[in-house]
This record gives sequence, C-alpha cells and structure tokens, in this order.
Amino acid sequence: AQELKFANFSAPTHTITAAVVDKLNDSVSAATNGELTVRGYHGGELGSGPADQYVRVVQGVADVAWGLPGYTSSQFPKTMIIEMPDALPLDQPAYPALLRAFDDNLASEFPATKPLALWGSEPNIFIMKSAEIRSPADLAGLKIRVAGSSAGEAVEALGATPVQMPMTQVYNGLQTGLIDGAISGASTLSDFKLDEVADSFTLGANLGRLVFFVVMNQGVYDGLSDEAKAAIDAVAGEELSKSAEDAWIVTADAAVEAARADENNVVIDLKPEEVAAFTDALAPVTDAYVAAVDGADALAAMQGE
Amino acid sequence: MLPTLRMVTDRLINLSAFLGTVALIFVVATVLFDVIGRAFGKPLYGSLDLTTMAFVVVVFGGMALCDKRGGHISVDLFERHFPPRLNLIIDIVVDLLGSVIFLTMGYAVLKSAQLSVMLNLRTNLLGIPQAWFQWLLAGLVIVTGLALLLRAIEFILAGESDHEEGPIE
Amino acid sequence: MSPVAIALTGIGLLLILLALRIPVAFAMFLIGFVGIWALNGLDAAMGLLSSESFTLASNSELIVIPLFILMGNVASVTGMSRRLYEAAYAIVGQIRGGLAAATVIGCGGFAALSGSSVASALTMGKVSLSEMDRYDYDPRLSTGVVAAGGTLGILIPPSTGFVIYAILSEQSIGRLFLAGVIPGILLLSMFLLTIWVLCLLRPAMGPRGPSTSGSEKVQAVMNALPIIVLTLLTIGGIYGGLFSPVEAAGVGAGAVILAGFATRTLNFRQLWEASRDSIVTTASVMLILIAAHIFNPFLALSHIPDFVREVLISQNLGVIGTLIVILLIYMVLGAFLEGFAMLVLTLPIFVPIVSALGIDLIWFGVLVVLTLEMGLISPPVGINVFIVKSVAPKVPLGKIFVGVMPFWVAMLLTLAILIAFPQLSLFLPSQMMQ
Ligand code: NA
Ligand code: NA
Repeated sequence: AQELKFANFSAPTHTITAAVVDKLNDSVSAATNGELTVRGYHGGELGSGPADQYVRVVQGVADVAWGLPGYTSSQFPKTMIIEMPDALPLDQPAYPALLRAFDDNLASEFPATKPLALWGSEPNIFIMKSAEIRSPADLAGLKIRVAGSSAGEAVEALGATPVQMPMTQVYNGLQTGLIDGAISGASTLSDFKLDEVADSFTLGANLGRLVFFVVMNQGVYDGLSDEAKAAIDAVAGEELSKSAEDAWIVTADAAVEAARADENNVVIDLKPEEVAAFTDALAPVTDAYVAAVDGADALAAMQGE
Repeated sequence: MLPTLRMVTDRLINLSAFLGTVALIFVVATVLFDVIGRAFGKPLYGSLDLTTMAFVVVVFGGMALCDKRGGHISVDLFERHFPPRLNLIIDIVVDLLGSVIFLTMGYAVLKSAQLSVMLNLRTNLLGIPQAWFQWLLAGLVIVTGLALLLRAIEFILAGESDHEEGPIE
Repeated sequence: MSPVAIALTGIGLLLILLALRIPVAFAMFLIGFVGIWALNGLDAAMGLLSSESFTLASNSELIVIPLFILMGNVASVTGMSRRLYEAAYAIVGQIRGGLAAATVIGCGGFAALSGSSVASALTMGKVSLSEMDRYDYDPRLSTGVVAAGGTLGILIPPSTGFVIYAILSEQSIGRLFLAGVIPGILLLSMFLLTIWVLCLLRPAMGPRGPSTSGSEKVQAVMNALPIIVLTLLTIGGIYGGLFSPVEAAGVGAGAVILAGFATRTLNFRQLWEASRDSIVTTASVMLILIAAHIFNPFLALSHIPDFVREVLISQNLGVIGTLIVILLIYMVLGAFLEGFAMLVLTLPIFVPIVSALGIDLIWFGVLVVLTLEMGLISPPVGINVFIVKSVAPKVPLGKIFVGVMPFWVAMLLTLAILIAFPQLSLFLPSQMMQ
C-alpha cells in the first residue's frame, strides 16, 4: 500500500479537508481497495504558508498540495484572468471555465506537476468597517487591503487607496482603522474571523473571485501502478474541482447568512443600475490585464466562446 | 597560503555584514516612508515586497559575522568539566558540522532558485525575481560555511582552538 | 524502526548534542534534517531546508525581530535606556529589587505593543540588562526577569499566539485577546511577588539604592521623557490605526533614530555600529527559528501527536485529568519545540478531545498559551532564554536557566490558579462581547 502526503497549510477544520483531502482519499482508496491512500498533513506540518505549496510539491516535500495562484501570481498570469472583475458572470461557476481553458492555455503554467483540481471561490464582496459602499464614489480615499498588483489596480480604479497586507493582519487592520475594508470572498468572514470586526458588506458588484489549485508531483504520479493512476484520473478534474467549488460556496453562503442575521451589520445588495457603475469603472482594468498577459484566447476559452 | 585565505575570508565576512547592515537601515526607511505616505493617502507602492526581500539580506548578511563573534548559542553547562582535549575536539566538530549545514543550505537554496526561475516566481506587486534573493542568500551562507571550514582547518593545524570558557559561576 | 521510535531516538540525540555544547541551531538542523531524510527521503529534507530558510527570512511578521533589536540598540547608544532606568531607579530604586520590578512592568507595557515574546525579550533585554548590571543586580535575577517577563508578549494582547490558536481552534480572536488581559495582569503580579520573595531571601540579588528627593524624581523622569513619549506614541499609533503592530517595530526604530539625531546623542557612525550589532543578534535568533522549523516537521512526520492522542483517549481521565495531562504534554513538548510550531502540531489533535469533554475553548486557549510561555523559558530548548543569552553573551546559559526557575514556578502557580478559577479568564470576554 502507498500513502500520498497531502499538504494543507490551513487548519484541519478548513473546508478543504472534507471537500478535497477526504474526498480524494475516499475515492482512490475505494477504487484501489486501499492500495493507495491519501493522508492530510494539516496546519502547515509539511511547511507553513500558502505561497510555497506548489514548490513543495515539485521538490517532493509533499506529494499533493493545494494553493492559491494569487500568492505567486507571476507563475500563473493566464490562470489569474479568472480572478479579474467581470471575467465570468457572478452566477457562473469557475471550475468548468478553468478546465475548458486548461489544455490549450493554462497547462504551461503548471510544470512538473499534474493538476488534480482547479476551482474558483465565491465572488468577492466589499467587507468594510464603518463605511457603506453603494457606488465607487463611496470608496474615495478609503484604504482597502489588497494582495496582488491587479487587485491594487482595481482598487485604484474605484478611487480607493490600496494597502498591501497579509490576510492574517486584516483583522487587526480593520479593528484599529488602519484599513477601511477589504475586497475578498465571504468565506474570509469565518476563516479569518473578519465577521468580528467588519460591519458593512456590499454584494452584487462583479469584483472577481479567487482561484485555487490542487497539484500532484508528476514523478510520483508517473511511478504509480496503472490501477492507481486510473483511480486518480477518475476523480481528478471535473469531480474534485466541483466538490471543492461547491463546498466553498456553501461555506461562503453560511457566512453571508450569519452576517445578515447580525443586526449590527449593514448588508447592501446592489441593484442592477448600481452595479453598472462598478462594471464601467473596472472594465479597463480587466481589459488591460488580459492584454498584458496576452490572454484573449484564454479568456475566450474560459467564457466558453 | 592560510593567512591569505584568512584575509580573503575576513573581507567576505565584512562585505556580507555590510550588505546586511545597509538592508536593515533600508527596511527602517521603507517602513517610515510607507507609514507617513499612507497617512497622506499615498502609501509606498510595493513596500511589503521591498521590506520582506531586504529582510533576507538582513538575516543572512549577519550570519558569518555572528559566527565569527561566537554568537551561535550553545548550552555551556558542562564545558568546564570537559578535559581541554575534548573541548578542542568539540570546537572542531562544531565548525565542521556548521560548515556542512551552511554549505548544504546554500546548495539547497541554489537548487530552489533554479525552480524559481522555471516557475517565474516574483514578488507580488513589484515583480522582483525571487531567484535574485535566493542567489544572494546562497552566497551569504556559502561564505559562512567556508569561514567555518577554514576555522576548523586552523584549529586542526594549530592543535588548539581559540576556545574561551564562560565566566566562573 | 517505527516512526515514533525514530522520533524518540531523535530527541535523545538532540539532548546529547546539546550537552556536548553543539550550538542549539546546529543540533536541531542536524536531527531534523536527518530525521526527515529517514522518514520522507532526501528530496523532502533538501526542499524543506531551502524553503524554510528563505520563507522565514522573508516572513512579513518576523521582520519585527531586527527592527526591535535595532530600536533597543539605538535606545542604548543614545542613552535613552540609561535615562529610563535612572528614572526608574529614582522612583523605585530604594525598594529591594525595585529595578527588576520596574523591568517586569516594562515588559508588560511592551507586551501591549508587540504580539511576540521573542521581540519583547529582545527589546527589553537590550534596554535593561546592562542597566541592571550597572546598579549591581545579580545577573541571575536580571536575566531571569527579562526572559520570563518577555513571555508576557503572547499573553497580553495583541498576541500572535492567540491569533494562531483562534484560527486553529475556530475561536474568536477578540474574545481570546480579552481573556488574556486578567491572566496577564495576574502573571505580572506573580512575577512581582517572585522578585519580592527572592530579594527578601537574598537581599544582595537586588540591592537597595539611596533614597531620592521629590525634585530628583521629577528631574529623572523629565530626562527620560523622550523615550517614554516615543513609546506611548508608538502604542497610540497602533490603536489609532496609523500603523500595524508589525510596522510599529519599524516606526519605533525610526523614531528612536530620528530622536537620537535631533538631540545630537547619535551620529552616523554609532547608527552604523548599532545596526551592525543588530544584524548579528538577528542572525543568531533567526537561525534558531529556522532550525526549529526543520525540527518540527520531523516530529510531525513521525506521527507522535497521533500516538499521544491514542494513549490519551484510551485512558479515560475525566475533565480535569485530561486537561492536566494535556498541559503536562505541552510542558514536555514545550521543552523541545518552538511554541507556535507546537500549536500547529498539536491543537488539531487536542481541540476535538477537549471540546468533546465540554471544556470551554477560550479558557483552554489561555491555559495553553500560558503553558507555551513556560516552554519558552524551560530547558533544554528555551527560546526566550536563548534570546536573553544573545543579548547578554557574558552570562552563562546555565545561570540564566537557574535565574528563570523561580519565575517558572510562579507561572506554574498562576496556571493552577487559572485552572481553579476559570472566571479569571472568562469574565472579561463574557462581559464585553454579548
Ligand atoms: Na502582546
Ligand atoms: Na523549552
């Protein structure tokens, strides 16, 4: 029997465990009668932090890992298109778009590994403290946390000041007023406890979303028996990606529900005409990014054209 | 031969420390500019990229000098009870072990710099190649490793170390 | 050999290497690297060596370490620390151990500014050790006070320890921060009591100073005003949202440097030397942290935590029994492991057990963080003791470990009090959050 080491930099209670680690383990151990199993190493046991996960798989520290291209966006210029505002309509899932574009446009961004899943998060929303956002004008001069350069440009296009800050410091930043808000998915409300300090949430503008990957060391995959390879192939791709994205949406929906239920919060659902102002302001940012990474084909494939 | 090597090594140690010291002052200045700028709505773009990469130079720039000053912390409870011969052997073993550790670290970081080039890893806002700082890190720890190796050779040839026992309790 | 046997062998070898005065970092590198090689292959060991050294040396939170060291060094060169201690001496010097007491209170104040025990011990050590030496305090008392007082950094908010605990156990950061306040003040008081008892038993440890007149006191405080104002402004800047606790380290260092230039107590050459000294201390501290991050995954790979859980579940110890056994395990692990890595390694295993027994996870968090602090000063791997050693190289390590022992006992007593009276931890969070 062989055990694959799945590196998880998050807590074992994180959405990833049930939706991906356990699912992968259940599927491959059932298909191989326990000859191949997957074991999660949680909380960064195999090396901390989200940024290095891809490298750790290539180096063989872990056999499988999950991560966010956004932490090392220079490696994933075309994959990152899916994170841009209005790349996809809000109600359209990201994983089929990513899988559609993968073979022709994205595969070269994943050298030395076999991607097992690609998916998107719930859509980004405005997570604010003491500031209600109904139009780009409401953002003028506010300090908004960003992680990467394209998010920074989006924030500037809306008239706000981007502040670069690790996600783990956002709680304290919101609490002390160092930043006025963050643009991120609703799952951060529970994952990083932002629900304790933020009090105003604006939904409905297309602010993009996050993208995630699960990759496996190519050499380890190649060394498996045909039966084990087939077991992995059966669950990899569509099935695992859907499981992950669905679970992300469930977590995020629960967080939004909880935010709505708290009477101290203001939850703003933008009307279509209000959304348009954001769309107009952000369209040049997305267009410029797609042009800069020569990503017109990739975007077309993602959008299913 | 050995004195020349010693002189070259000492110069490399000083050069490393020079880089580290400059990097530390640079970090302080960057944080100040960023904080003051942000108060006026104009934060320093990519300040986190700059400070974290400079931090690499701060940490490893001082490594060789730290070792030269005997700054690597050890448990000095029993050294007084060891015979001088054993203390000499320990000093040589420590230097050889440290040398192996730093040279291995340098080699491992060079290998992962290759990976950074292959994956085009850069800092998130300013897009500075990560490999530059990995090469620098590798260079700094290789200097440290070679300095330790040289000292081990000096101890072996001299048949004694510059070992100083801690003050009497 | 089974993985657990490999891990126990590794721990045994670590102890032997440390006793042979192999530097702590080298010993942890060697055992961790070879252990990972044995359990997971050479590629994994090499990969971890390269990624941990680069990742930790570019970590945006650890950057406070060189910055606070620099702040302490510059405060010392410019005479700001001296004037601070002259003020403290004028006010409390005539009490036995008064300066040590003032240092502990200073540690408590610095803890409100920094979320890290390492940063607290480093800065307070740079500022206070040579000063207490000047007033003939016993090095065992002065180093013990700084090593133990520094641990307050993770009990008094803001606290990196509570943030990591909150995320791993899914508890509220705000509640945990509030829960740490009263235990933090209690522990600080216990430290003061310890100093008082020590100086009662051995008056030479903290000799009494001459009494001073009211105007001398006022004058001394006026002289120390720049550093006091700078510190208060830095704390105010964090809570006022001008900068983050991490940036505060850079602002603090920058402010002390600018104040030094403005008052002509600092020139460029002195700044250069202070910075050069700072990177040497940084190298020493960071190498131990990097080594700890090579050593920890070795223990993780050995499945020791799972082994411990199975033993624990099979024993059926009841609420208090389980709690005490878990805290004992933390004390033993804390003797070897770096604190935060230990949290990551063990909390996912203990939290479900504790929560199934109906134990309040906020309360448990306070107990765990306090136990973590004990690990920071307990031999053989006491990170805070190493930190103090790095700023007081002339004091033998054994002496520092002897010096912290009374404070370790004070922590044990505090832990017992907090176990006996959960309300001490839970009162504030229950009052202030719903
Ligand atoms: Na603190
Ligand atoms: Na310890």
